[in-house]
Amino acid sequence: MKQWKNIRLWLVACFLVTMVVSGCSRASSGSGSGDAKVTLVWWTHDNPSFVEANKKRIEEYKKIKPNVTINYQYFPYDAFIQKAKAAYAGNNAPDIAQLFGTWVTDYAKNGHLDQAPNQEDLKQNFFEAALGAYTVDDKIYGIPQEYNLENGGVLAHPQMFKDKGITYPPKTYAELIDAAKQLTVRDGNKIKVKGFDFVSGDNIFFTFLSFILQQNADYWTSDGHVNLTGPEAVTAMTKLKELITVDKVTDLSRFGDNLDSSDYFFKGSSAMTIRGPWTIASGVNTYKVNDFEYIPMPSLTDSPPYFAAESGWGEVVAAKSKHKEEAWAFVNYMNQKEQALDFNVTTFTVPARKDAAEDPAYLQKLPMLKTSIDVLQYGKWVGPVQDRDFFVKSVNDNFQLIASDKMSVEDGLKKIEQSVNEMIDKHLSVGNKSS
Amino acid sequence: MSKVHTLYRQYRLDRRFILLSLTPILLLFLVFSVVPIVWGIMLGFYQYSALYQESPFIWLDNYKNLFQDEVFTQSFWNTVKFVGFAFPVNIVLTLLIALGINKVRSAIWRNTLRTMFFLPTIAPLSGSAIIWSTMYKNDGGLFNLTLERLGLDAVPWLSDPSMAMWSVVLMTLWADIGFNIVIFMAGLDSIPVQFYEAARLDGASRFVVFWKMTLPLLQRTTLFVTVMTLISYFQMFPQFQVMTNGEPQNSTNVLALNIYTNAFQYNSMGYASAMATVLLLIIMIITLVQIRLGRSKWEY
Repeated sequence: MKQWKNIRLWLVACFLVTMVVSGCSRASSGSGSGDAKVTLVWWTHDNPSFVEANKKRIEEYKKIKPNVTINYQYFPYDAFIQKAKAAYAGNNAPDIAQLFGTWVTDYAKNGHLDQAPNQEDLKQNFFEAALGAYTVDDKIYGIPQEYNLENGGVLAHPQMFKDKGITYPPKTYAELIDAAKQLTVRDGNKIKVKGFDFVSGDNIFFTFLSFILQQNADYWTSDGHVNLTGPEAVTAMTKLKELITVDKVTDLSRFGDNLDSSDYFFKGSSAMTIRGPWTIASGVNTYKVNDFEYIPMPSLTDSPPYFAAESGWGEVVAAKSKHKEEAWAFVNYMNQKEQALDFNVTTFTVPARKDAAEDPAYLQKLPMLKTSIDVLQYGKWVGPVQDRDFFVKSVNDNFQLIASDKMSVEDGLKKIEQSVNEMIDKHLSVGNKSS
Repeated sequence: MSKVHTLYRQYRLDRRFILLSLTPILLLFLVFSVVPIVWGIMLGFYQYSALYQESPFIWLDNYKNLFQDEVFTQSFWNTVKFVGFAFPVNIVLTLLIALGINKVRSAIWRNTLRTMFFLPTIAPLSGSAIIWSTMYKNDGGLFNLTLERLGLDAVPWLSDPSMAMWSVVLMTLWADIGFNIVIFMAGLDSIPVQFYEAARLDGASRFVVFWKMTLPLLQRTTLFVTVMTLISYFQMFPQFQVMTNGEPQNSTNVLALNIYTNAFQYNSMGYASAMATVLLLIIMIITLVQIRLGRSKWEY
């Protein structure tokens, strides 16, 4: 009798746990084949222009595939990062997620993502730099919506050049620095208007790597580690330091500030700011300004303006999704040329699809993006950075010490190289589980 | 025999009642305190990341790496600097303010003052941090606008490595002192008035009364306040994350923030767990020393 009571208690407990677990679950519904009704769960971050573009695709797709319902959920950026990690780790991921390319590698190599069905088409039709982080062991695990570049272009205020009688736009690196010096406005020891600003979380890192590439060097070794102590890296870091200590066209005063360097540019606190073209949307839509242009960033050397680029936002399908086929069908629809082009125009992003980037309609709608389109050919994927945030922070931390004369360029680079390679070793030491 | 049996039955019923009464709270304690602590300590021996399908057991490697990690060392000393300054200032300031408010005779004014000091404590720390960030802004922040009005130079409150920590300390004290003031006031209220009357009749000066009577009789309150404040200051996180995110030059990167960054930004949950274990040990040792030193054996 007592045993039966215990069994009953266990059964009730199991039932309650099952109810709770199924209540918390966000799994998609439907049989998953043919024209049966299917609900796909799609997660993205909450950038307004991205949400607008995504909602358009859902509305269009409803008309084409009325049996497919997209349960669209978007979250603030920071919350989205953590939510995605928890969901994939707990095998409770959405069918589709719009992830940033650099995150995708870790998810893919640990078996959380499904391989894209149309591998050869993707390789042919998309830029290599945009596909880089989506590729593990030569297999592609998602479709990028954008070619994410932080370098290649500079936000500039032409009127400031005109007021000072400076030739616009600067054609060489020397001209750019010379103009920046003249455009810098001081108030005592402080800089009121920065002539050329590159001090932001992303741009110290990307400008540093791009300066190495522009000396026709590479920062990767053949075994997947970084080499940041070579003469080209020293020159690149020295040039960055000189912008603060010798040329004095910017400073570290706003590093880590809540506002982005582009925000300060749109508020008129800098004459030129190196930042990705995606920030143009903020100038046009948030600050409602049109007194700026996006001009080419001259190369440090006589070589073309090579730059390091990340793989940007794109769609992935969960390996555990019950509706992979339907999910890929929707992702493929979003990445057809017309739809991809509309996404890029709405979000002020550079197309990851080659034919969309080459389509004159794109530049007709976004003429300011011409600079980025022109330099796409010089973009190189940043490489298998493993933990992108760690790499960026390591460069930023040591750059601040170097620029404050608290550490030599050589010592700083040694520290970056050592810490990044240790991080890479840690990542490489855990098994590769990509399917 | 029957009496023995009844007593035994009563004893069993009492035991069952105690067990039933304590089970929920013990379960909560077990699930939300003991298990996470033990789990966290265990994770410190693994190269664990939630995303990875393999988590190799690496024994003490995480701990070895900690002591070679300059960012960890810096965050440790930043924490010591923050606690070493903010903690004594908090205790001295709150005790003095509590003493001052306690001297106010009007109950309305006493309650008003107590409420005023307590108000910032009600606000979420992260919300207060956002407001203080705007006040600390280099351009257009309240503090710099005031300084400029007074003809003084603007101060880079959060962007100067030598200044940022003190700015966060100031904000923390503003947000945090209300709680300790209320506790100290309760402690002061519980000291019998007769003691003060006797001291006055004996001709004791105000300082002697405070030093020889108030302070020793507040020992239990002081022990509670110091232990709780020290623990919370070692674990301080929201204002560092919101106001500076550890910048500039890692000058405000404290242990709690470093643990968060490693766990949730770099996905190095094992390494972050090793850091958290070190922090747990530090707090445990200091708290045990505090309790030992602050032990009192009197009653009134």
